[in-house]
Amino acid sequence: MKNVNRGSLEREGGSSDRRRTKSPGANQQIWILVILGAICIGLEIGVHLFFRTAIGYTHIFYVLLVLAAIWYYQKALVVAAALVAATFLTSGIVGDFSWATLLRAVMFLVVTWIVARISEERDRAKAEILLQKKAIEEKHSALVGYLAEVALRMKNPITLMRDNMAAIRLQLESEKPDLEALKMELSVQITHADQIIANFRELNQAIVEERDEIPLAYRDFLTR
Amino acid sequence: MSIDLTGIGQNRLFLVLSSAERLKQNNISIIRSLTGQGHRVVVITSNHPSAVLKKLYAAEGIDMGRVSFIDTITKYAMGRVPEGQEDCRFISSPSNLTDLGIAITEVLNTLSGQKACLLFDSISTLLIYIPSTNISKFIHFITSKLRLVDASGIFLAVEKGLDPLLLTQLTTYVDGTIDMDLSPRAEEAKKVRSGAGPS
Repeated sequence: MKNVNRGSLEREGGSSDRRRTKSPGANQQIWILVILGAICIGLEIGVHLFFRTAIGYTHIFYVLLVLAAIWYYQKALVVAAALVAATFLTSGIVGDFSWATLLRAVMFLVVTWIVARISEERDRAKAEILLQKKAIEEKHSALVGYLAEVALRMKNPITLMRDNMAAIRLQLESEKPDLEALKMELSVQITHADQIIANFRELNQAIVEERDEIPLAYRDFLTR
Repeated sequence: MSIDLTGIGQNRLFLVLSSAERLKQNNISIIRSLTGQGHRVVVITSNHPSAVLKKLYAAEGIDMGRVSFIDTITKYAMGRVPEGQEDCRFISSPSNLTDLGIAITEVLNTLSGQKACLLFDSISTLLIYIPSTNISKFIHFITSKLRLVDASGIFLAVEKGLDPLLLTQLTTYVDGTIDMDLSPRAEEAKKVRSGAGPS
């Protein structure tokens, strides 16, 4: 499985930002695990070795294993293996090695592996969502820029053309219209209109060719 | 209507914004002001044929000896150059910026030593033919050229016809921006049109 870079995931923002404000930093995580590890070893020595009981105290181990799996994924299996080794060692010294000891050791490893996989998968999905979000935002910015250019090259010149046409009409209404000049003016306005139509065709072509800068949802909207 | 273009005397470059309906009238006003100040004006037109502008200027009593044209639209729209236009330079298409650049350079060279001023009419029309990024680069080229030869330049555009990004870029290339519809004279003209009378 592809490893997720936690640092980059947190830098991307989104929900991991919220978690970052609540959960401890990398240094704190190490310290928490070290303290929990020390407590677990202490319990193993104190409770199992001296009081010679193997019941109850191992539940504390799961706190260490779950936290390690959430923060360090599969690397937490090393911690689980260390706890298994400590359990086997003390069981060997105490002489209470049994199927229960084996089952407990297997559970340490299985629980750690499951939590690590779930945590890894969750963070990978988060990273994917963030990437998709970023890609959508980039496409949206490109689309806004594209539409702004379209508006700039069509809507505003049409206003200018309308006023030019109004001026031509006024000249036609005058007593002695210069027909030759008006013919030229009309030719220019027709040329402008032709070019604006060509610009519209270019926009349609961009939509038909499925250019990347226009997301699918907007393409549907534009061709509706 | 005369326009305060005193800055033009110090070889300044202006972006002049006008409403679409008053663009032609403002063009005439600018030409009148510039020729009145003794400038040789080169009109680059993409909105009206040069022949039409010539007649308009002449009808307004403008000294046509001080005005020359680079026409980017007539040849493209009519498919030919009209007769009696030998003094104009015609560009094959408004999108042919290479030829336009060459024509501007040549005209400015012929006017060296004179008070030359370039009037660009208009950036808004050019937007029909050229993407805004290319227009921005071209205007940057023109303004640099004008500064090099100590000539003045006026770039006409329809107000609200430019997007904020293009407007910001163009504003950085020129020395000042004049909004013709915000000038006191324009306000006065508006009041006269609405019947309020000049204050």
